[in-house]
Amino acid sequence: MHAVDSRPAPAPAPQATPPKTAKRVRSRSQRDSGVAWLLSLPTLLILIAMLGYPLYRMIVLSFQNMRLRELFSGATPPWAGVDQYTKALTDSVFWGVVGRTAGFTVVSVTLSVLAGLGIALLMRRVTRGVRMFMMIAMMFVWALPQLVAAQAFRWLTDSDFGVLNYVLTQLGLDYSTHSWFVNPWEGWAVITALVVWAGIPFLAISLSAGLTQVPKELLEAATVDGANPWQSLRNITLPILKPLLMIVTTLSVIWNFGLFTQNWALRDGHPEPVYQTLATYSYTQAFGRSIYSYGSAISVITVLLMFGVMVFYIRQMFKIGEVD
Amino acid sequence: MARHDDGVITVGRSRTGTFFANATGIVFGLIMIFPVYWVLNTAFKPDREVRSFTPTFWPHDFTLDNFKSALGEELFIPSMVNGLIITAMAVAAALVVGFLAALAIARFSFYGRKAIILVVLAVQLVPFLALLIPLFLMLQSVNLTNSLVGVALVYLVLLLPYTVWTLRGFISGIPRELDEAAMIDGCTRAQVFWRIILPLTGPGLVATSVYGFIQAWNEFIIINTLNDPKNQNLMAWLLYNQTERGTAWGPLMAGAIITSIPVVVFFLLIQRNIATGLTAGAVKG
Repeated sequence: MHAVDSRPAPAPAPQATPPKTAKRVRSRSQRDSGVAWLLSLPTLLILIAMLGYPLYRMIVLSFQNMRLRELFSGATPPWAGVDQYTKALTDSVFWGVVGRTAGFTVVSVTLSVLAGLGIALLMRRVTRGVRMFMMIAMMFVWALPQLVAAQAFRWLTDSDFGVLNYVLTQLGLDYSTHSWFVNPWEGWAVITALVVWAGIPFLAISLSAGLTQVPKELLEAATVDGANPWQSLRNITLPILKPLLMIVTTLSVIWNFGLFTQNWALRDGHPEPVYQTLATYSYTQAFGRSIYSYGSAISVITVLLMFGVMVFYIRQMFKIGEVD
Repeated sequence: MARHDDGVITVGRSRTGTFFANATGIVFGLIMIFPVYWVLNTAFKPDREVRSFTPTFWPHDFTLDNFKSALGEELFIPSMVNGLIITAMAVAAALVVGFLAALAIARFSFYGRKAIILVVLAVQLVPFLALLIPLFLMLQSVNLTNSLVGVALVYLVLLLPYTVWTLRGFISGIPRELDEAAMIDGCTRAQVFWRIILPLTGPGLVATSVYGFIQAWNEFIIINTLNDPKNQNLMAWLLYNQTERGTAWGPLMAGAIITSIPVVVFFLLIQRNIATGLTAGAVKG
């Protein structure tokens, strides 16, 4: 109940302070501006040098025709205009990659955010020992490097000695020597399971930390007033959690749209066409086939695709007042 | 009010409900941990047990041979040292630089603030691997390819937007009333920073650095593309090792465990600090 006692204290302060003149307010805010820019300067310089400039070089590269010869000789690659873009946009393989990446992103983000939220809420409901066990299990999964996790799933789904086939066969299904990557739907199910499994700890633990920000007094008051758990969740918890939920969802979209490690490792560094995503496709074109300019063009298109998502997201953020 | 020692309200919660919640939690935990357990299980098995059509759910003939063969690799220790150096440099730099920007965004209102937020948000979109060709050319022109500093610089940029954005969230979570109250009591801006914002952002700094450590330690594609085999980190070593060995699962899982140990140990040591929000306590006094 300290909160109630302390709250009225700051309130009289504005009345006690004499009204500031316009001049004083402006000089104060100008000084603040200077300090703020000074604090932001190192970040901005690093981003410009190591991200802005390479981005510019990448765009230039996408309008050229750079191959292995130019990389070694250092000669300026010949100008190619929009050839690389025409090549990509008229290629059905490229559009297949775009559709596959987008579909995977929608499915995997939906599954992992819902699971993360569900687990975060569940963690508030279970007893202390069980919560500890869930935390420890998730900590280990979170701590496990992506490549190691991918190797683990590659081993679990191994056609000859994998434990998954063994268990399914024991359950009466004929899965002995079943290869999970012949049928792309099954292969993508494995990749999605891996990504969701690996993504849950970050989401559940972040959201669970966010749930501790929900004032207990508010939930208690709602319960006393007869609200059921669903009403408390919808009307109190979720609105307070919304900004954090938006952040972790967008991060999940960014990460999953850029899927590389999981399909790369599960397919032994040589993903078949049906397992290519925009990230692996661009990388394969540039570093596997040495068509650097085509790879760059694909990357530029990827950035533009994500930019649409991000503009929508940023507008939402400003609209709901998360960024005030 | 009826509360457990951990502050969870007991009003209107049935024993049956708690039982089912606990059961669900335990099943969830077991499913989550199984792949991790299977890596451990495989690493301690002799080869004939690994390559068996009826997998054993614990090692019958416990052996350390897989670890010996992984550790015996020529570049293992150098790769581990490289990884530690690169990660420490990148995380420390991202934390210092990012915290300043986060402070500016969270606590100052100034012309250009929204533009900075926009940049920080937007750059997270850039598919980093796409920038590898121009980055390689740039680093080459200043003699920073095939060097640990070059890779650390790239990792710094990789971590920075996320660091700024996350720390901004943590700083925003500290009530402005605390700043204002302190300033009314005669604190300067600098004192507010050292006595209020920095201590209260502690858990946020820890959480962010843990995440940064994991990101940097786990990266293998950039370092693999920029550096020679002798200047790789442990993760890239694991990738090389995999290609050489094909499906020698035992040594592969042993190598994977050794590679994961720094991350797991570091992570578990500080896990208590991660989810602890200090702000609630501060307001309630």
